[in-house]
Amino acid sequence: MKYPNDDLREALAAEYALGTLQGRARRRFERSLKEEPALRRLVVAWQERLTPLNEGIAPVQPPARVWRSIEQRIRKTSRRGASIWDSLGFWRTASFVASAAVVLLAVILTTGTPTSKPHDTMVAVLSDEQSNPAITVSWQADPRGAERLRVRVMGHAEMAPDTAWELWMLPGGDQKPISLGLITTHENQTVVLPRPLAVKINQASGLAMSVEPKGGSPTGVPTGPILYKGLCTMM
Amino acid sequence: MADPDSVAELMARCALRDERAFAQLYRHTAGKLFAVALRILRRQDWAEEVLQESFVNIWNHVNEYAAQKSAPMTWMTAIVRNRALDWLRRPNVERGGEDYDLLVEAVADDAPGPEAQLGSSREAKALAKCLEQLSGDQRQSIALAYVHGLSHAELAVHMREPLGTVKTWIRRGLEKLRGCLQGAPV
Repeated sequence: MKYPNDDLREALAAEYALGTLQGRARRRFERSLKEEPALRRLVVAWQERLTPLNEGIAPVQPPARVWRSIEQRIRKTSRRGASIWDSLGFWRTASFVASAAVVLLAVILTTGTPTSKPHDTMVAVLSDEQSNPAITVSWQADPRGAERLRVRVMGHAEMAPDTAWELWMLPGGDQKPISLGLITTHENQTVVLPRPLAVKINQASGLAMSVEPKGGSPTGVPTGPILYKGLCTMM
Repeated sequence: MADPDSVAELMARCALRDERAFAQLYRHTAGKLFAVALRILRRQDWAEEVLQESFVNIWNHVNEYAAQKSAPMTWMTAIVRNRALDWLRRPNVERGGEDYDLLVEAVADDAPGPEAQLGSSREAKALAKCLEQLSGDQRQSIALAYVHGLSHAELAVHMREPLGTVKTWIRRGLEKLRGCLQGAPV
């Protein structure tokens, strides 16, 4: 549903952020928000404008039972464990779901490249929260190092303006993700790895892709949402 | 208050399903967010319920956060406020009767008006300056709607003015506010 008039859009975004847009008008507006990024930006701008009104509100500690209920509820929907690495169990499940895609990919890989394969191929199928595969990354598991990664982006991926997609290697244990560089939305691409990473990549337990500001993460660790992630599997 | 950078970092770790980071995020922000919910709902049990639902929501949607390009607290506050407002406007819930009298008292206690509670950040100062340029009625109705979650109808009762008048105050006030904040040097 479109609101054709700019003044009306602005006024509705303002009243939505304020909280005075109600009833059917509010629900209709929320449906439009899902479809229109431009409308979402208007709302966010209003939320930013009004949010200082909360600054003077003194914090009130909620009772401990609130956190206990939250913890129970998120454990029900997610996996147990306390860190990223503990959640690898979840990834394994996810990668079984995506196994059809892996098999398909294996066929593409073996028919797409002449079989001069002295080494095994490592594959990571990066999927979203619902286990829909979105990106595959593959490389030759050469103990001397993998110089390049083949990246395939499936479907019609869209990158938000002024953002970048950054690929990360998850080394396992308690170590931080390591950047493998930026990728694009092109269906087929190659990422060339610098020497130390080329060796390290063989120890990766998983790969992930995050949305970052243009030019990549300013801090060296993912700062934006992880859109896709997946375990590395040897083919 | 939690420093926005560390909150952003915690949220990035939550996106990687790091439950320890989520527990830390809760410790950093729950007090403030609970206070926001309490202001709107004015009932401890409702505010607890809304806070719980909001954090489950935050955990489930933390991946979508960066696309919003807003400050982390703004994003989380919006989730809590929307939940609280939806809660209030369920068909069988009404903040009437005694609760309503409590509200009137609470609001009266806030004199000279919730806008005076603005903090000291640069954004807060800019907003305070622009709020000063509105008429008293416009300013008060916007602040009451935002901080206490009053609807147009509740505002009309509270301010003893016809509904249409209140709606116009809000609309014109918001328009002026935007003009002022956009014109203000950043």
